[in-house]
Amino acid sequence: MSESTSESATSAPKKGGHGAAAPAHGGHDAHDAHGAHGHGGPHLAHHFDTYQQQFDAGKLGIWLFLLTEVLFFSGLFCAYTVYRGMHPEVFVYAHYFLNTTMGAINTCVLLISSLTAAWAVRNAQLAQRKLLVLNILITIACACTFMVVKFFEYEHKFHDGLLPGPAFHPTEQVWELETFKHKHPEAAEYAEKLTKAAEAKDAAKAAPAPAAAGAAVAETGVFERPTEEQLEPLIKAGVLGPTAEDQTRPSKPRNAHVFFGIYFFMTGLHGIHVLGGIGVFIWLLLRANKGEFGPKYFGPIDYAALYWHLVDLIWIYLFPLLYLIH
Amino acid sequence: MSNEDTPENADKEPKSMQGSSEEQPPEPREDATRPNPALEPTEQDEPEEAARHEPPPPADGHDGHSDHGLAHTMPVWMLIAVLGALMGLTVLTVSVTSFDLGSEGNLVVAMVIATIKAALVVTFFMHLLWDKKFHLILFLTAVLFVVLFLSMSITDRGEYQKNIDLYQSTTSAAAK
Repeated sequence: MSESTSESATSAPKKGGHGAAAPAHGGHDAHDAHGAHGHGGPHLAHHFDTYQQQFDAGKLGIWLFLLTEVLFFSGLFCAYTVYRGMHPEVFVYAHYFLNTTMGAINTCVLLISSLTAAWAVRNAQLAQRKLLVLNILITIACACTFMVVKFFEYEHKFHDGLLPGPAFHPTEQVWELETFKHKHPEAAEYAEKLTKAAEAKDAAKAAPAPAAAGAAVAETGVFERPTEEQLEPLIKAGVLGPTAEDQTRPSKPRNAHVFFGIYFFMTGLHGIHVLGGIGVFIWLLLRANKGEFGPKYFGPIDYAALYWHLVDLIWIYLFPLLYLIH
Repeated sequence: MSNEDTPENADKEPKSMQGSSEEQPPEPREDATRPNPALEPTEQDEPEEAARHEPPPPADGHDGHSDHGLAHTMPVWMLIAVLGALMGLTVLTVSVTSFDLGSEGNLVVAMVIATIKAALVVTFFMHLLWDKKFHLILFLTAVLFVVLFLSMSITDRGEYQKNIDLYQSTTSAAAK
């Protein structure tokens, strides 16, 4: 190849050489790649002079794309920020419905896939074909695991009526949830008592015998002054207080459904990006398996990995913002 | 790891890629600095380096730096160390939610940890530490505009909080 390099002192013979040289490197395994060297190798597009130029152009392109992605997602982050600023109680209320364990598992799965994606870039650069294929496979497997976990989370929410807008009909009250009971056992008990008292009151209104109904109300014994532990978590979650939907009994905060609108939009858009990433990595897996990537030509792996890291990056923010609300 | 053909060279190459110009990757990197016009006189990207090797390089003839020279190669230990740090920070951010750190303390801590994690991903996994500075500027520009976007929205929301409170007090009074 070095002879042909010397020949290409002027541009005309060099450009002419692109097509002629290409078939010679059709095999393009690791060693061919070393020899291909910018003279119409099989993966040097005709509108680029060199592999370096081709790589840099692609890299600039993917960074510009990532820039638009960051701004794209920032719209949803803005909706989140504004709404959380306006209604912190909605977020405290809703986060009890999310499964932190599943969110944490998904975080770890995405982080591992990010490692394998970054490792795959290294493998492509060093023409380690088997490791490259393996790392892409692990990345795809992790991405699929993420989507399966997400599927179960979504399914659970559909089942429990935790949907955005008018579809929001939670089957459980927040203080009946294990996550709430575990964190605030006294508050959960207190909310239970208040609910019973309110139901007894309703029954008393309906029933013609006031004495018996009054006894039922007294039995519940909610008229003792509630402690801080009993009251505070309920007010913070909008179950009691001015933001509660129903002022006569423990209920859900007004506009609680908006959280699930934000939740489904943010995780949904992220999930679509994960699905897109799976598609891209399957395509790259097939190409890597053919041995197309090497030290001169690893751009596609690098660009896909950069995209994948951005998807990971967004999840790094989504996880604490949605699942880890205090 | 068994099929890494040049494992010991692989980690050294990024450092020397700027000046290397020879064809054979397994050769020791010392050769990279030795002027050897016979090998590849037109392979230089940087004009001054090209001048060092061969005075008149054709304007259109500069190819990539060297065989592995298109971009930085991450050493495996660094990748795994970054993953370890990210995992550790994930455990930290989950465990810190069980402590009450004041009204907005938990949110601030969670966001600080998330930002450290994001910085690790961007710096190492996304190669920005070794990449062209222009890409860093691009990314930081995006971050700057996100910060502007969010902060303007928060300020704007604060301006209208009075109206919202008024609306809500009247509607909740009506509900009673």
